[in-house]
Amino acid sequence: MSEQKLQSQTVQTTGHAWDGDLQEYNNPLPVWWVYTFYATVIFSIVYWVIYPSWPIGKDWIGGMSKITYVNSEGETKTHSWNTRALLLQDLNKAAAEQKPYFDKVSGMSYAQIAQDPEMNAFILSAGRALFADNCAPCHQAGGQGVVGFFPNLTDDDWLYGGSYDEIHQTLMIGRRGYMPAFGEVLNGDQIDQLANYVAKLSGSGHDAAKAAAGDALFHSETAACFYCHGDDAKGRKDLGAPNLTDNIWLWADVPGASGDEGKIAAIRGVIAGGLNKGVMPAWAGRLSPEQIKVLTVYVHELGGGQ
Amino acid sequence: MAVTTYSGAEQYNFDIVKKFAVMSLVWAVVGMFVGVYIASELAWPFLNFDSPYFSFGRFRPVHTSAVIFGFGGSALFATSYYVVQRTCQTRLISDGMASFTFWGWQTIIVTAALSYVMGYSQGREYAEMEWPIDILIEVVWVTYLILFVGTIMRRKQPHIYVANWFYLSFILATALLHTFNNLSMPVDLFSMKSYSLFSGTQDAMTQWWYGHNAVGFFLTAAFLGMMYYFVPKQAGRPIYSYRLSIVHFWALSFMYMWVGGHHLHWTALPDWTSSLAAAFSILLLMPSWGGMINGIMTLSGAWDKLRTDPVMRFMIVALSFYGMSTFEGPMMSLKEVNALSHYTDWTVGHVHSGALGWVAMISFGSLYHMIPKLWDTKIYSRKLVEWHFWLATIGIVLYIVAMWISGITQGLMWRAFDEFGNLQYSFAESVAAMMPFYAMRAIGGMFFLTGATLMAVNMYMTIRQGKRENAALEAKLAAKMAHA
Repeated sequence: MSEQKLQSQTVQTTGHAWDGDLQEYNNPLPVWWVYTFYATVIFSIVYWVIYPSWPIGKDWIGGMSKITYVNSEGETKTHSWNTRALLLQDLNKAAAEQKPYFDKVSGMSYAQIAQDPEMNAFILSAGRALFADNCAPCHQAGGQGVVGFFPNLTDDDWLYGGSYDEIHQTLMIGRRGYMPAFGEVLNGDQIDQLANYVAKLSGSGHDAAKAAAGDALFHSETAACFYCHGDDAKGRKDLGAPNLTDNIWLWADVPGASGDEGKIAAIRGVIAGGLNKGVMPAWAGRLSPEQIKVLTVYVHELGGGQ
Repeated sequence: MAVTTYSGAEQYNFDIVKKFAVMSLVWAVVGMFVGVYIASELAWPFLNFDSPYFSFGRFRPVHTSAVIFGFGGSALFATSYYVVQRTCQTRLISDGMASFTFWGWQTIIVTAALSYVMGYSQGREYAEMEWPIDILIEVVWVTYLILFVGTIMRRKQPHIYVANWFYLSFILATALLHTFNNLSMPVDLFSMKSYSLFSGTQDAMTQWWYGHNAVGFFLTAAFLGMMYYFVPKQAGRPIYSYRLSIVHFWALSFMYMWVGGHHLHWTALPDWTSSLAAAFSILLLMPSWGGMINGIMTLSGAWDKLRTDPVMRFMIVALSFYGMSTFEGPMMSLKEVNALSHYTDWTVGHVHSGALGWVAMISFGSLYHMIPKLWDTKIYSRKLVEWHFWLATIGIVLYIVAMWISGITQGLMWRAFDEFGNLQYSFAESVAAMMPFYAMRAIGGMFFLTGATLMAVNMYMTIRQGKRENAALEAKLAAKMAHA
């Protein structure tokens, strides 16, 4: 920019120049900028008067805004505005809305709850929230479980029983599924025979001769499968031993295996390796009795309640 | 006023500027690639490959360190050495010290990235480096400070140009922040692990005093320094207002130090601390905007350059995003807004509207201005610059819009109660609802990364072209000398 052109400007530069052509005009501060800054100063002062702000020694200015809340001991307190009390207020409000329903839950039988439309709506809402926070990590959001890990709660197959009382007991005390590893006591042929028999029980593809040998082994003292799974192989709910005849699979991923040989191999794996991982924690003490009761009805209503 | 680019080689140490400029581009591509990768992990979790080395938790600090300290830091070293020499009309006081800052800084980025992948982290956001790396940073940074101040003291100009005030405040503040936030006791001399000197909520407060001022002085003041040199240079016009630059510089420096507490709303931090910080955040709005006004108004009278000059466009869009995110920040610092935005993706979107929109765009603009000058040539392809500009702009918009929607959705889902007083959604359901926005964010990031890659290619070709022209010129000169 030439000297003449600069002089013709109404606003002058500061007269300094750096690196050849770097200069600065000396324009005044934009008026709107100054006044908006003043406005933010006023805003801040008002904010400091209303809300807790400046520290003084070991104390601080609490501000004019007060907040009333009920603390964990049930006492009503008034304090200068603070976010912990705000959160408590929110939680108190939710708890107050839940309370009449939870009170009703504790006084009603399972059947009464299930038949009351209003209580049913509450179970769907509260049960869903409780299930999502506590059960879904294992049993999945819809209760469908994971083959190989966590039982499906939406079908009518129950390891420990699907009545209200049985579900309630499962929730209260937890469960621990166990099957010995037969790889240590049976040879490979025997395990293969048993696997073919188990496949036959569910109508899956199998070798008839091996299955017949497996049948004998199943009911013999050598393998002693019938002690837990029963003579008819339909399982024993008092032990949590599964029904082997319903084509519902938890531990052996039979539906996911391809071909008859793959399915039988999956069954062989469970027989040989056994199981020591069917652990469900006890919820008594972690959840309130009313919450467990709500969950009992909710799980019962997932589809398979008996 | 006789100083021109051509006398540069002897008068100034441009070798160090070139090295940092090149590494800045390298780290941009590397850091943004890691960013796109971790964004994709959130949308498509199989990308974790069930390996701790690829996991989000370890790659995230690799991304932030590579883009902030690798790309941003190298761009700041490059431009500050360039600007301080040219505006003080003097050479850096020591080539050895300059070289030490280069090799030291690159070592820091590489070792930090390796240590994160191996699982070492202080768990302090933007200060994840463990103590041995922290000590190296301290040494490099003090060298930088001595070099910068020494060069300013040796200036041949009576006045210190405004860009240098900002650079100096950045170097000084970063030294303070880094030192105090990283005070810790190593488990033993041969262990990478250390424990912070502070405990509990004081530790959190120290971390966010650091964290927000890293934003304030590293990502704002320093890049304003860049803006104050490269915008008037590129526009060929004087800075709009010297007075405004003084007022907003001091206001910014004073206000920023107070606001860190607004990161800790709704936590164990006492409420007076965070509401005090919130009010200072509101006070910071106009001082922040001072820089935007000075940058944009510098262009008034030459608006046609926005149509004709793609490099100028980078700078003006950078200033616009700067204005937008420095408005959004104070709003988010109010507790009522924060109740919705805290812990959500809104925060991530806010950071990126500043980091991509302001920091990266102003750096791209400045590097496009500086690199051809350093190698004494013209930009290889203006068409590629145009492409870069649009890819970057579209990428930013996709990114921040996705994060606004997902952030507000998260905030609303988390606090929704139904008529029975039960939570309406589980956390997992809010995660599932994020899927489309996480995908959109990753795609936005891919746009931005593609743009940065085009720039790296364009600048590689520019440098090659500059070297060839120079060699041809020297060959001609040699031939002439031989004839004579």
